[in-house]
Amino acid sequence: MEERLAPLERQSLGCMLLKKKKLNALGFDTQKFIRFFFASNASVTIIVLVLIMLMLLREGAGFLKTYKYELETYRHAGLEFCDIVDRPLAQHQQLTSRLRRALGASLDTISQHARNRRDAYLNMKRQIEEESSLQREALSVALEQTPSAGDKIIEPLRTQLAIAGVKSAMSLTVRSFFSLDEADKIRAELSQLSPETKDIPAFLKQLNDHFSTSDKAAKKSFATLVKATEIFEEAPETLQEILIEIKEHVLQTKTAANEFNTLKSGRLKLLEAAENTQNPVEKADLLKEAAATQAMPVDFHQRIKLVTSRADELAEKVHQYITAIQKAAANLPTRGSPAHAIALLDEVHHELPLHVQEMQTAADEIKTWSPDKPVSFLTVIGAFFFGSNWITNSSWQDSFGFVPLLTGSLIISLIAIVIATPISLMAAIYSNQFASEREKELIKPVIEFIQAIPSIVLGFIGISVLGDLIKDVSEVTWLQWIPGFPIQERLNMFNAGCLLALMAIPTMFSLSEDALNNVPEAYVDASDALGATKLQTVFRVIVPSAFSGMAAAVLLGIGRVIGETMVVLLVAGNRIAIPDFSSGAGVVFQPAHTLTGIIAQELGEVSRGSTHWQALFMVGIVLFCISLIINWCARTFVRRFEQFKA
Amino acid sequence: MKPVLLLLIMMMSMAAELWAQTTLRIRGSDTLGAKLVPQLAEAFKKQGHKVSFDIAAEGSSTTFTNLASGTAEIGMSSRKVKADERALIRSKGALLHEYELAWDMICIVINKNNPINDLSKKQILQIFAGDIKDWSEVGGTPGPVSIYTRNTSSGTYRDFIAMAMKGREYGAQSQKMAGNEQIASEVGSNMNGIGYVGLAYAQSKDIKIITIGGAEPKVSKMKQYPYARPTYFYTCGEPTGTTKEFIDFCLSGAGEAIVAKVGFIPLTLAK
Repeated sequence: MEERLAPLERQSLGCMLLKKKKLNALGFDTQKFIRFFFASNASVTIIVLVLIMLMLLREGAGFLKTYKYELETYRHAGLEFCDIVDRPLAQHQQLTSRLRRALGASLDTISQHARNRRDAYLNMKRQIEEESSLQREALSVALEQTPSAGDKIIEPLRTQLAIAGVKSAMSLTVRSFFSLDEADKIRAELSQLSPETKDIPAFLKQLNDHFSTSDKAAKKSFATLVKATEIFEEAPETLQEILIEIKEHVLQTKTAANEFNTLKSGRLKLLEAAENTQNPVEKADLLKEAAATQAMPVDFHQRIKLVTSRADELAEKVHQYITAIQKAAANLPTRGSPAHAIALLDEVHHELPLHVQEMQTAADEIKTWSPDKPVSFLTVIGAFFFGSNWITNSSWQDSFGFVPLLTGSLIISLIAIVIATPISLMAAIYSNQFASEREKELIKPVIEFIQAIPSIVLGFIGISVLGDLIKDVSEVTWLQWIPGFPIQERLNMFNAGCLLALMAIPTMFSLSEDALNNVPEAYVDASDALGATKLQTVFRVIVPSAFSGMAAAVLLGIGRVIGETMVVLLVAGNRIAIPDFSSGAGVVFQPAHTLTGIIAQELGEVSRGSTHWQALFMVGIVLFCISLIINWCARTFVRRFEQFKA
Repeated sequence: MKPVLLLLIMMMSMAAELWAQTTLRIRGSDTLGAKLVPQLAEAFKKQGHKVSFDIAAEGSSTTFTNLASGTAEIGMSSRKVKADERALIRSKGALLHEYELAWDMICIVINKNNPINDLSKKQILQIFAGDIKDWSEVGGTPGPVSIYTRNTSSGTYRDFIAMAMKGREYGAQSQKMAGNEQIASEVGSNMNGIGYVGLAYAQSKDIKIITIGGAEPKVSKMKQYPYARPTYFYTCGEPTGTTKEFIDFCLSGAGEAIVAKVGFIPLTLAK
């Protein structure tokens, strides 16, 4: 019975529209007109979507070609040659950093107390100077005046400064490094600070002396470590000198090549304008200007010879460097320092062979390097999709590697989904199955209202409230077992993930509630008839049969999250680097940059049609594809669900 | 009915007045566009000039893209124009005119609770390039260094590379912030943070300026301070009319007073 009624109703609704043929006098067929109106609306959306896709493709497609050209220049000009040595050499800085930290930790065992005292004094001095800065400025201005201001003006300023000094010195809290006597001495000295006395206060001098003697003593007792660190730090200096010389040379080549290209395209534009103009005077002007921009192309071959001819010299220096660091490392002490420092030294010992090996390979590689090797499209695609550096506006070489942005986006989405899924699904199940009518009336609008919060407002909350909250919580002592605590950055992926979860909840909640609603009543009736309790019916019958719809809701939530821009731009911390996974789950508290954020941040600055511009469009294309795939997955899930229902 | 009619007439007259005004579109550096140029514009309007300003500050690189596409009358930049940008504008058939506006100093700021007060130029280079990863390496309290830089469109970003980095890049761990204020607030909230801001932003809460090899970023000591730089106005072709009047005003005594008040260094003092 019911099945027959439904089509009848639909027909009557259609008839209502079709029967009103009043406007026919104008030659309009209303029926056709309405049809056309609805059809055109539908087709406009499709056309717009196709246009967006075409536009993205058009702007992005040129990327491979221009980036290939850039990589070719990178090779032909010889920048690649320098990087062969320069890249592994960066590891040297890592090793040196560890050595310096180990040295610092060792020296601290002796000189830390003296240093703390001196630093505390300096900080207090600074504080007092700041508090009385108004009076201080006034006095120094008066003193510097020429001809000098009379005592009549200066004297009251002096007294004012003295009063301010005493006042802030009295309210000073002196830290526990100092005894009571010393604290009084400090207060007395600091209250007399004046721009007129150039001498260092006596007690500060004493602290300084004490620190330098204890520092000397510390350096003496760790003499071997000091020496080895120094040698290690200075080892690459001669190598770097040569490298810098070569770098300057190749950079000149590159700049000249780029300049030639801009001038050339500019000249072509001028010539084109000259061609099109009718006015002979203007034409002559344009032609003259075009002639003025004539420049010589760069002779890569001639210039690169100067670079390749130095390969042997450079390799020689690399070998010298290797022997130097190996010798220095052999002299590193293995005992005597605190455990923390020894651990760092062990790391150095551990990583050194790898570094040496890399340098060795580099030395061999530069000898056989050739600037004429062609750059294939595969290399270009690889450099984009698997490159781990996104460096733009660089004075050396731009690189557009997409991996750091993708990891940032993925981790943030993952955090958001992990938080949002349970909340929204539980809320949907509760409000659909268990809640009373009044509760439903409250829960649904409130959750759906979240969607109305503009994302910029959420971002603002992330910066001003949530960031500080997470940071404060991370400093609570009994929570230190959580990986990543205490956190360093308040703008991080977790912060962004929490806010995005909030944004995804309404979508996921509404869609999964719909899915629950769509479960046929007959299932519930059957379950009840079998004597199942309410809980059993919900979790054994309703939820499983709504499962695919709920999965689709989660997928669409992911789609919502991965495309969100404003929040991540403000809150994620914008560090373009692949997060350091060595800290385990604590990785979520690191900052990152995202696919959407990079487009928003950089598109405004780039000139149209440049490689950077096209690279951003490539990122846009990838984002588009990701959203498309997610939506497609969601649709597949829903379709399965519909089949299931039938 | 009457009030509605009155309102309509008022709105129309206001619209007509707006119509009569010329609009100066100014684009470019955040360092200049966030504080200095809006205040200069305000003062210029107070002098009775019928002009409205449209200022957008998204980084010095936007100066030249906007000038080239004709969407700005004046470009403000905290760095000198690059050769390819000059060529780009030249290829559009216009010549770039440059005006030094004021001097600025890039201050290195750290958290107030950090015991360090002075760093050498080399240490600054090593910190920002990511070689120094821990404060204990420069004699501070142990803790990983957090680096905050401006984003890539900023002139400060490039200027700092030129003045302090000897052609090296920022370390991969650096975080790119959209503005000076943001750097100041992040450094203020992070005990291990370090960043750079223009002189005008260095007085924010919870941060302190460190001296570079003993040199303080102060107007009187500009010669010794290593990170001082000029800032510029750029126009496409010789400026005329209101554009010229505004630039003249900025370089006049009244303009310089505002420059000094906002925290930049007037040209007459810099020379």
